[in-house]
Amino acid sequence: MEPSGGRREKPKGKEPPARLEKAKQKSAQQELKQRQRAEIYALNRVMTELEQQQFDSFCKQMQESGE
Amino acid sequence: PFFVNRGGLPVDEPTWERMWRHVGRIHPEGERVARRIRGAADLPKIPIPSVPAFQPSTPIPERLEAVQRYIRELQYNHTGTQFFEIKKSRPLTGLMDLAKEMTKEALPIKCLEAVILGIYLTNNMTTLDRFPISFKTHFSGNYFRHIVLGVNFGGRYGALGISRREELMYKAPVFRTLSELIFDFEEAYRRCWHTLKKVKLGHCVSHDPHSVEQIEWKHSILDLDKLSREDFRKELERHARDMRLKIGKGTGPPSPTKDRKKDVSSPQRGQASPHRRNSRGDRRPSGEKKPADSKAMPDLNGYQIRV
Repeated sequence: MEPSGGRREKPKGKEPPARLEKAKQKSAQQELKQRQRAEIYALNRVMTELEQQQFDSFCKQMQESGE
Repeated sequence: PFFVNRGGLPVDEPTWERMWRHVGRIHPEGERVARRIRGAADLPKIPIPSVPAFQPSTPIPERLEAVQRYIRELQYNHTGTQFFEIKKSRPLTGLMDLAKEMTKEALPIKCLEAVILGIYLTNNMTTLDRFPISFKTHFSGNYFRHIVLGVNFGGRYGALGISRREELMYKAPVFRTLSELIFDFEEAYRRCWHTLKKVKLGHCVSHDPHSVEQIEWKHSILDLDKLSREDFRKELERHARDMRLKIGKGTGPPSPTKDRKKDVSSPQRGQASPHRRNSRGDRRPSGEKKPADSKAMPDLNGYQIRV
């Protein structure tokens, strides 16, 4: 039975180039996000340690000045 | 400086470079930090935390602990660049979309983002009231702002949030009055040498994630310089009463914020009101210097205890 409207079916396995390109871009974007996330958390670890060191030093100074 | 990523995710190149430049300026090791991390092949894999899901029988206090654990797992954002842009005037539905994005992208967050996330993660807890609590404090010549999500369950008050300081975020819902909760925060501030100057209390937030209402961030504005201790407590309890009576939480179309300000629960509020609304003269960017009026603090290369 022929498809209604005389439409031709697309051959299986052949995606339009635009759709493939879009999928590629999306995949690249996802990879970039993952990479950025890893770097952000690595950076956050460094900056958290810095903040903690500075806070501890400050508290120590406050205690010493209080004494 | 306070940088915000306004271009969504992934972070665009100018914002990304700005983040690293800022780090290079403030970290003692300067640009070595960036060189160690950028492009490194062996960075640890950080799993994306699972959004907490609960059995219907899970008690609310337990759920709140789980929500707080989730927020904590995202980590406080110390990078200097906020990754999610939050416009406080957005309708709730837009903010909830942003919260959903936060759970998908799973990046470090700061206090305002944690409040939005806290609302999102507790929307299905209809017996839990949520309301924003903003603090303005003074330390070593500068003013600092912080916000948490106040919660009220069964008449007991607590809070969800995130902060650099452990004592300025999660509070289990055990405080019998709103005053007790706020005084607890005040004491926590005092322990890190901050003086509480102002408290802004929002009204209860709708549980409807598709609501077009705006969050009311400052239903009550309490200036501690202008209030006696007792008046401060009374105003806090007045706000608590307003929330209990659910004043302003109607079922009709949302009213603009300005209109809501005129409608007060207590007729006494208009008389020599201890709080000011939207005082422009009082709005200062975080960290703006004022003439020092407190005793000298040890100067650790200008280190400021931020919260």
